Amino acid sequence: MDNTLATRAFLEPFAGLAAIGLDQADLPRILRELPFGVAVVDRERRTLFLNSVLERLTGYTSAEVAGVPCRHVLRGSFCLHHCPGLAASRAEAAKTACPAQGRSAESREGTLINRHRRKVFVRLTSVPVLDKAGALLCTLDVIEDLSALKELEGRLTRTAGPGAIVGRSAPMEHLLRILPAVAQSDAAVLLTGESGTGKDLLAEALHRASPRARESFVRVNATPMPEALLDVELFGQAGGSEGAAPRPGKFQLAQNGTLYLSEIADMPLAQQGRLLRLLDEKAVVPAGGERPMRLNVRVVAATGRDPEALVAAGLLRQDLFHRLNAVRLHLPPVRERGEDVQFLLTHFLGLFATKFRKQVLGFSEEALALLSSYDYPGNVRELRNMVEYAAMVCPGEYILPEHLPPHVRFPKPDEPAQQPPRVKPARKKA
Amino acid sequence: MSKKILVTLYRNEVAPRFDLASEVLLVSLDAEGREAKRQELVLAHSSADDLCDLILDREVSVVITGGMEEEHYHYLRWKRLTVLDGVAGLAEDALTRHLAGELESGAILFPRPEAEADHA
Repeated sequence: MDNTLATRAFLEPFAGLAAIGLDQADLPRILRELPFGVAVVDRERRTLFLNSVLERLTGYTSAEVAGVPCRHVLRGSFCLHHCPGLAASRAEAAKTACPAQGRSAESREGTLINRHRRKVFVRLTSVPVLDKAGALLCTLDVIEDLSALKELEGRLTRTAGPGAIVGRSAPMEHLLRILPAVAQSDAAVLLTGESGTGKDLLAEALHRASPRARESFVRVNATPMPEALLDVELFGQAGGSEGAAPRPGKFQLAQNGTLYLSEIADMPLAQQGRLLRLLDEKAVVPAGGERPMRLNVRVVAATGRDPEALVAAGLLRQDLFHRLNAVRLHLPPVRERGEDVQFLLTHFLGLFATKFRKQVLGFSEEALALLSSYDYPGNVRELRNMVEYAAMVCPGEYILPEHLPPHVRFPKPDEPAQQPPRVKPARKKA
Repeated sequence: MSKKILVTLYRNEVAPRFDLASEVLLVSLDAEGREAKRQELVLAHSSADDLCDLILDREVSVVITGGMEEEHYHYLRWKRLTVLDGVAGLAEDALTRHLAGELESGAILFPRPEAEADHA
């Protein structure tokens, strides 16, 4: 057994517990009376015990399910491929040297379906129970019922979430007018606009207004990663010959729904080619697989840069651009939205005053003059954050200049207005 | 009259959840109730709605599965299917018991300590 200083330090607080005879305690009774669900499962993940809360949650009694694999008792969405208990017990089996290190508990959120056919949102934390030599005895699966939390979250999302896109300027009115018609079609859409103009919001609004609204909206950010890994991330992996479970990619997760590619030009050209094939053939071959899988996914792609320049620079495939460009929606920057600035300021002030429970009625003339002359390089995102800050620090009824961030109050006279980012040519591989 | 039975699969077990099943076993019986054809189907992805569509498309009359949401259960019952849900056990055991007329919703077919003790 490990007797390092670190280990001793970890065990020391428990010496007192042993001295009062806690090792003689009636453990099942303690577990039974805990205010959250607890299942004790053996090394083969067979159920040994359910406490009272978990019996109520699952609808099964301990006696009914003793010896049954826990995946048939909990029926969690994490049970089949991402079982935290299995991951925790594997990790513990791998390191038997030091009990002090055997403290790792794995947590996952998901749903379970109980005996009464009700789906319940839960968080499962699997805690491996080790003996003094560090060998795995059993696992404690702690299950918290998140239903109330999820319901509250849902209510908040509906009332204060990203909500609708707002705007009264001519380009925004045009956009909002054509949005329902575009949403109804299944065509791929290309969203353009500088950072902070609301491309993500528009993509989500398109999904919500479409017949696919009840299905998934999956966002993909093609961040730099090895191409093989990105391939699996996007297009999934076929099941291995040794019984490895197939892994769904983002496209499979978005089946019947919408897939949103947040910066199309970040995607390597090889994956752009595969995306083009997917748009044409409506099928994809998962990594390591042979058979194509049929997919029904609407693709919405976005870029913060000029797509024509991206094509010229070799960062975006021309054929893919033409395929996506069939429907193109452009979000103008705030500096081109004229009358929208005041409208947006009032809109966000109302939102944040309610959120912070303040009696803020509006902006003083001086504050409004400063805010109207500012050019918002960060667009609506910057404007929104600015109003949030002002509403937070304002103690009275009107936002005054001193409630605004310093860079708005004291603009540098010769500061050039920010231009949209330039497109650098693609680096050629050596 | 021939009939079709669908069992949702997870490895060789009845899938613990209907909405997460990615494989199904489809067994066709002849007019005498004997097994005439057996087919295993791999689904593109797990979805309770798509699985319901497949069940109706294939004119299945009995579904054997694990945990299932009320909405899908009642939908299939409304479509006049026999739904044996909440079944925990090996798929083959569940099928055999159903053919013998002994399978009910919520049946736990895995061996359990007290059952083993009774046999001993």
